[in-house]
Amino acid sequence: MEKLFLKLFIIVAIFFATLWCLRQVDWMTLFNVKKISQSTEEKLGELYWDIYRKMEHETEDKKITVPIDSLLTRICMKNEIDRAKVKLHIIRKDDINAFALPDHHLVLFTGLIEDCENEAELCGVIAHEMAHMENGHIMKKLIKEVGLSILISMTSGNASQDIAQNAIKVLSSTAYDRNLESDADITGADYLMKADIDPEAFAGFLYRMSSREKDYPKQLFWISTHPGSEERTKAIINYISDKNYQKKMVLDSTQWAQLLLSVKED
Amino acid sequence: MVSTFAYKPGDHEAEKASNGYLMSLIAVIAGLPLPIINLIATFIFYLGNRKGTYFVRWHCTQALLSQFSLLAMNSVGFWWTVSIVFKDVEISNQYISYMITVFLFNLIEFIATIYTAIQTRKGIHISWWFYGDLTNAIVRK
Repeated sequence: MEKLFLKLFIIVAIFFATLWCLRQVDWMTLFNVKKISQSTEEKLGELYWDIYRKMEHETEDKKITVPIDSLLTRICMKNEIDRAKVKLHIIRKDDINAFALPDHHLVLFTGLIEDCENEAELCGVIAHEMAHMENGHIMKKLIKEVGLSILISMTSGNASQDIAQNAIKVLSSTAYDRNLESDADITGADYLMKADIDPEAFAGFLYRMSSREKDYPKQLFWISTHPGSEERTKAIINYISDKNYQKKMVLDSTQWAQLLLSVKED
Repeated sequence: MVSTFAYKPGDHEAEKASNGYLMSLIAVIAGLPLPIINLIATFIFYLGNRKGTYFVRWHCTQALLSQFSLLAMNSVGFWWTVSIVFKDVEISNQYISYMITVFLFNLIEFIATIYTAIQTRKGIHISWWFYGDLTNAIVRK
């Protein structure tokens, strides 16, 4: 019997010794794992945006895009995020919505901009979506909702337009996992504090949206895709309560007023 | 390891014993995505032959026992992969190393199973290192 246990021990030891030896190799670099997933994301981002822009009307109005670009640039620069990789798109639509597509496509609706009471609120939404991008939530959501095999077939052009449209719908009008939302809230709050923007304004925005949800459920896409707003407001407030941060405006009051005016003119 | 068996098995016995390994071989292929299938298939074959001759029972048991270690290894690999695809777990060097290790052990088992199936069919008794000893301790004449 002792001999039997000794042999079992040797087998287990061989298994772990093999594992240990293989662990010494940097397989991630060897197999280019990150590059492969990055190229899949790039292809999906390009494909989705091509389809989405045909469905909606993107505004090129400099009076709108320039101030929003300033807000985005501040968040990116202060958080060492490459601004050049973020593709900002402003869609003319009254719905209160913002979402991210793969490969750093950030989509904001004019309805959302119009509904923000100050730039910090808008920055909060931008930072939250940026957190989804930077933490890899978009691909995780797609894999979960659409399936890995379908995503791969899309990148090789083997999937139909309907399937791609369905994937866009998943990203633009369905909720993320609760854990991913909380993660994006906290990372977003960190981005805001580093960029000297008040994160409390974002918490306030969430609270305001949740209180209006019952009255205008259809227009408030962003809040219906980001459920549990009251608890999330509390979590953000708790998180920032013991943090020190500065509040510096990116746009002056005239620029902000001009932005709102341009959005309304549309 | 080739060793002498208690008696010279007949052709019919050799065929049944060899089928035990073939069963686990087919099950390994079918069960790659769901490792439990290996074990269930081999176990069903074992149940079907548990009242067979000593030679048949001995080899069915060895085939079954070898599936247990594969089940444990492959199950971890399977659930790890599921977590990567559907949950927040990310691909890491640990994961790739583990999957290569599991692949190597499956490959060794696969080759050993083919070799044993062929030899057993010829009536030659093959006793595996550790699993043979364990089978000797379990199966009674």
